[in-house]
Amino acid sequence: MTYIEWRPSFATGIPDVDHEHQEMIEWINRTLAACGQAGGARDAVTDLLGEIYARISAHFALEEHVMKSRRYDQFAEHKRDHERLLDEIRDMMDEHESGGQVIEERLASRLAPWFSEHFRLQDARFHSAGL
Amino acid sequence: MQWLKSAIRACIEWLESILDRVCGPTLNPLNQLGALGWFQFWLIAVSGIYLFIFFDTGVTQAYSSIESISRDQWWAGGILRSIHRYASDGLVLVAFLHMLREFAMDRMRGARWFAWVTGLVLIGFIYVCGITGYWMVWDQLAQYVALSTSRWLDALPIFAEPISRNFLSNAELSGRFFTLMVYLHIAAPLLMLLFMWVHIQRYNYALVNPALKLMIGTGAGFLLLSLVSPALSQAPANLDQIAATVGLDWFYLAFYPLMDRIGAVGLWWLVLAVFAVLLVLPWLPRLRESPAAVVHLDHCNGCSRCFDDCPFGAITMNPRSDGAAFSAEAVVDADLCVRCGICVGACPTATPFRRATALVPGIELPAFNLEALRDRVETVARTLTGESRILVFKCPHGAAVTPPVDTSVGVIEVPCTGMVPPPFIDFVVSRRLADGVMLAGCREGDCYERLGVRWTEQRIGGERDPYLRDRVSRDRVAVSWAGPGQGADRGQALAGFASALIRPPGGTQPGATAEQRAAWRQVPTRPSAPVRYAALGVMVCVSILLLGFFSHRPTVRLRADTAAIVTLSFSHAGRNRQECQRFSPEEMARLQPNMRRIGGDCPRGRWPVYVELELDGRVVYAGTRQPAGLWKDGPSTLFARFQVPAGAQRARVSLRDSGRDNGFDASATADLDLAPGQNLVVEFKQPGGFTFK
Repeated sequence: MTYIEWRPSFATGIPDVDHEHQEMIEWINRTLAACGQAGGARDAVTDLLGEIYARISAHFALEEHVMKSRRYDQFAEHKRDHERLLDEIRDMMDEHESGGQVIEERLASRLAPWFSEHFRLQDARFHSAGL
Repeated sequence: MQWLKSAIRACIEWLESILDRVCGPTLNPLNQLGALGWFQFWLIAVSGIYLFIFFDTGVTQAYSSIESISRDQWWAGGILRSIHRYASDGLVLVAFLHMLREFAMDRMRGARWFAWVTGLVLIGFIYVCGITGYWMVWDQLAQYVALSTSRWLDALPIFAEPISRNFLSNAELSGRFFTLMVYLHIAAPLLMLLFMWVHIQRYNYALVNPALKLMIGTGAGFLLLSLVSPALSQAPANLDQIAATVGLDWFYLAFYPLMDRIGAVGLWWLVLAVFAVLLVLPWLPRLRESPAAVVHLDHCNGCSRCFDDCPFGAITMNPRSDGAAFSAEAVVDADLCVRCGICVGACPTATPFRRATALVPGIELPAFNLEALRDRVETVARTLTGESRILVFKCPHGAAVTPPVDTSVGVIEVPCTGMVPPPFIDFVVSRRLADGVMLAGCREGDCYERLGVRWTEQRIGGERDPYLRDRVSRDRVAVSWAGPGQGADRGQALAGFASALIRPPGGTQPGATAEQRAAWRQVPTRPSAPVRYAALGVMVCVSILLLGFFSHRPTVRLRADTAAIVTLSFSHAGRNRQECQRFSPEEMARLQPNMRRIGGDCPRGRWPVYVELELDGRVVYAGTRQPAGLWKDGPSTLFARFQVPAGAQRARVSLRDSGRDNGFDASATADLDLAPGQNLVVEFKQPGGFTFK
């Protein structure tokens, strides 16, 4: 199983944001681990996905607030990206709910890279813009 | 109190639903009375600044400068003067409607006492502005205002000299008085503006500008009224005469004829009593509230969405207090919180999907927590059957959800629709807990919690965070904004929504056509354009007639046609009760050197002044006037007016100021021939004695 690993290059330099990024990686890894378990982990995955959804929503809310208050020029783009990811998570939740077993694969193949990309490019650019 | 509230409320709601159909919720003036007040304030301010440029202070200049404004430049100054007056009348009307409405809708208790109390102060300011304004014109009405206001103020035992004595006769009237009036008439509105700002301080996104079309319409209405019935002065003031009748602005001056009936002291008691009752109204009875919203720091990262959405400014973002890695946290001021839960609807953590930990959002209402709400949603959803199962989130302030409430409709009451977090809607729809979700709140444009309807619309419309996700088919989400009197509209919207949700056999999408699906959104249906415009025209005409008529009619009778007025007035110090006692040489020797100058003991107390006025042997006035001052060492004063029949008569006036038991210290007689309306002033001065002028 490929877990996401926190790398120093993810750091944005804003303690609030970095703290939540680390927390979220932890939750995703826990979900990946639960997916990996055979059989009875179905409900656990549902719960964990719900948790991730709530936490990412809150995280994005904070990030958007910071961006708005710093008048980040690519706010709209960044916000769209956030919404896209939230939609993706919701899709996964529904898929999982309706009995699909692709969740683990999808988490690994879509969400995890999205995350590291998002951190690395988007957030980093936002924060290194020196705003 | 309760039945009064309900009765007024029923009337207002009836009027509101009519206006909703005529103007639509966004232009309904009853939804924006406060903002209309602001708008009229600005109209008055701008026109007032223009009038001020041309206004001259002075006994004769005041009247003539205003005449010139109204006549020589009727096309500018004249119109602006009319707008100045009619907008002021409109302001009184709007302020009282605003107050009545907030009372009837029960929006002045709890945290809202503040706006109520500051609003009362504003009403006081409106009256100070209006009365000083009418005073400045110095026409017959101004004379009535001046004398009545002075009389009212003189009833307070705080003035050493009656203010009324400034208005004894034309000869004694000082031009400086007009300078004072101008000063008051400028200072009062400035202070009023400050209080208007204080009045809305606790409201986020307070509405201070009405809808543009409404502003244009109101302005045009005033302009029309100004052209049809320009505001003009009455005959110039003449203190030596009292007019038989005077046209009155009943919006501002209705108290004065009342004072003529119940007396100045009576009016004070009445005003104080009414004010006191209004002042304590927010606590009659005290609002019993559940606990205020609380912040769960473990789930709050300081994203500020609740802060942005709170309609009552109850949330502030403070530096983090729990050592978490975030910079801010939300803090609720329980004294400002109205328990609407709109903050909960804004919180990004308020999603029913979370299960790994308890469903605790960053902020919530302890008496209405989200976990319980989710349980309720699931419980109620399980009871629903049929093809169009609808879950209604309903606020307690709007219309009831009447039929078709059957097993296909489940109702969950929330403090405000703005409290429902959009993920809950997503949850219900995506988990198929119901086929559709309806958010049923207050009348559009008039949310009891101010912004619940607006935020709900914007969240569903994807314009405000947190968005209702696009993946939630909007065909399955309905809103119904209807007041308690609009239950039929709500029923219609619900039925329409239900029929739009019915799916064809085997299909998964709502089977109705787009038009059918959209039909319930048109509720309430509005009448056709001609009907609306006609109704609008009637509305404008009624308002114009109302303002135009009561701004100077009906007239008030100040005296009988054949009567004359006698004013008896003086400010005269009675004699000292005791003579000065000169100190003996021994007593002088005992005094400190600097105190010997006095040379004796002079008690300051004075005798009261007794005065009697007879006309043709009939006693018109007889009374004892006490000396002013805490030590009873000031002058005794009198300002009294009597209506007497006109014609020839013999007057005799006598006065005693020395404490003797009988006889008089001064008296005079005069043969008068009073013309109707004449104001004869009988005055006593020392030296000089009595004069008849």
